[in-house]
Amino acid sequence: MSSVLIKNEARLGLKLVAPAVGIIGLLVIYPILFNVYLSFFDVQLNGTKIFVGFDNYSELLGNPRYYNSIGISVVYLLGTVTGTTVLGLAAAILMNQEFHFRNLARGLILLPYFAPVISVVFGWQFIFDPVNGIYNHVMVDVLHLSDTRENMIGDPDSALFVVILFDIWKHFPIAYLLLLAKLQSVPKDLYEAAAIDGQNAWGRFWHVTLPELKFVIATVVLLRIIWNLNRFEDVFLLAPNVETLPIFTYYQAFSGVVDQGGAAAISVIQLLVLVGLIWLYVRKVLKW
Amino acid sequence: MSSVILRNVCKSYGNLPIVKSLNLEVKDGEFVVLVGPSGCGKSTTLRMVAGLEDITQGDVHIGDQVVNDLPPHKRNIAMVFQNYALYPHMSVRENIVFGLKKSGADATTIASKLADVSEMLKLNEYLDRKPADLSGGQRQRVAMGRALARDADVYLFDEPLSNLDAKLRHHMRTEIARIQHQYNMTAIYVTHDQVEAMTLGDRVVVMRDGIVEQVGTPMEIYLQPSSTFVATFIGSPAMNLIEAQVEDGELVFSGYRIPISKIANTSEADLQVYRKVLVGIRPDFFEDSQLTSPSDHLFEFGSVKVDLVENLGFDKEITFKFGQEEAKARLDLRSHIVREQVISLSVDLNRVLLFDTSSQGMLLNAGSL
Ligand SMILES: Nc1ncnc2c1ncn2[C@@H]1O[C@H](COP(=O)(O)OP(=O)(O)OP(=O)(O)O)[C@@H](O)[C@H]1O
Ligand SMILES: [Mg+2]
Repeated sequence: MSSVLIKNEARLGLKLVAPAVGIIGLLVIYPILFNVYLSFFDVQLNGTKIFVGFDNYSELLGNPRYYNSIGISVVYLLGTVTGTTVLGLAAAILMNQEFHFRNLARGLILLPYFAPVISVVFGWQFIFDPVNGIYNHVMVDVLHLSDTRENMIGDPDSALFVVILFDIWKHFPIAYLLLLAKLQSVPKDLYEAAAIDGQNAWGRFWHVTLPELKFVIATVVLLRIIWNLNRFEDVFLLAPNVETLPIFTYYQAFSGVVDQGGAAAISVIQLLVLVGLIWLYVRKVLKW
Repeated sequence: MSSVILRNVCKSYGNLPIVKSLNLEVKDGEFVVLVGPSGCGKSTTLRMVAGLEDITQGDVHIGDQVVNDLPPHKRNIAMVFQNYALYPHMSVRENIVFGLKKSGADATTIASKLADVSEMLKLNEYLDRKPADLSGGQRQRVAMGRALARDADVYLFDEPLSNLDAKLRHHMRTEIARIQHQYNMTAIYVTHDQVEAMTLGDRVVVMRDGIVEQVGTPMEIYLQPSSTFVATFIGSPAMNLIEAQVEDGELVFSGYRIPISKIANTSEADLQVYRKVLVGIRPDFFEDSQLTSPSDHLFEFGSVKVDLVENLGFDKEITFKFGQEEAKARLDLRSHIVREQVISLSVDLNRVLLFDTSSQGMLLNAGSL
């Protein structure tokens, strides 16, 4: 292309993205900047702000509960991101096979993703209810794997496990959907070529399916990390005693001693970490 | 290397028969070409040999093994796909050695095969590129290289040259012929290009609607086609077929009378039961009478009015009429002919073929090989 054409195209591109940039600026950049601003103040209940410099940050970094919640968030992220990706991939591969009622099954799999959090959360709490829940019934009375009925959600350690399971169940369909879409577009003759080249089913998965899915899997992982680092409602509604970073931030900001400045400091750090993570991931892992 | 035998092989999709009781024996080291019009079941046949399509009925043998129930990865075959099917995430080098590696070849073998193949197919400068960064012809060569690098029992080609331009196609055809002579591989090669079929095949299998019409060497197919279908499918322009009456020991059409006794290996008695036959004359076998000296087995069509002259360089194609039927002749540049001119064409009666008007089968062969 001639340089004039390229220049014109660039100018057109600018015009086209300008409105979006404006809206994003208002809706996203402003709150972020305000958040950064807040993190340097002690915000009183009546709204007056007292400048405190880096006090909020140093206080936070000296708080053991903060480190505890970082640990919990890391476990939560590892569990949910791996779980949804693997389960989503398995479901996508399964649903890519030919069988009766496949279209029905493809639709049904999406249900957990569509269901409103608030209603399914009650269902899950009921499943793990120490007295009447089916989980304890199966573990204790049917399989005899345990002698005592556990309050899975009551105990923060096992509640973390439940919260991870819940997230995997609720969110694997989005991984499934993205992966299935890509899977359907993998040319059939690649599998045939691999078979001719001596690869059995596992080899074909490893040498054809996985490389073809690489970028979609990476996208799924990236999205899941971003979403779940900020995930609040699922965890809070199901088991508010699992103190992931967003939950800890919430407690910090709106309960007990209300400390909006401190909460803002947490989110600023979290934002920096997230941006750093994504940069690392995109540039180093994906080499995009 | 191994032989391949197909015995009464049938393939149906549901109730729809696609390949109907096909018998074929490819000898060890033989290059067999399957040719036929689009949709006649060539790819299906090839894919059954590869194991990519299951066999409805009959047996496929590779070597001394029946492979009907053997999955493709256990058949030790190599295949070139019509659409290349290169692994997009692998470099050209990785694509070529992928199957070889899997077969357990050691590093030195792999390196020398890679060097051989990339030298032969002129791929050296592309080895580190991904398939997406290659032209169609280069991809074609990589696909070819991937198959040739393998030490397979049988090599299968599914219209490997169909996506190339005429020049590259010609080049690759010569290349394949050379490779075949060098390695003496057992190969089944599918094409609907009759030039490829003629030039590459040790033997040619002409298929129609899932049935084998004729198997033979290229020259047998050309000179002694078993039916009008084969006669017109192979050879370009297609063989002229003219309906003639059988009268008093002569074949009569559009005012010409050819004595049956002059057509080689044919006697009046042979044609007794027929009142009509189809006379087949290849355009190539017409000659400009001015350039031939009269001889006993030459027949002269004395007044042929030229409707059209197409100059192809060395050759020229001439269109004229036998009665109502259009016919073509191919002459060379020695003949100076223009439209509307009336000329005289000769034909060697040893090359004239006769076909049954109803069964379309060849009656008696005149030509000797
Ligand atoms: N899955 C299928 N279901 C039904 N019919 C099929 C199926 N696959 C192929 N066919 C039919 O089988 C016939 C033979 O197909 P095939 O691909 O073997 O033809 P071909 O000789 O290779 O033709 P071409 O030269 O166009 O490649 C075609 O008429 C095609 O429509
Ligand atoms: Mg085909």
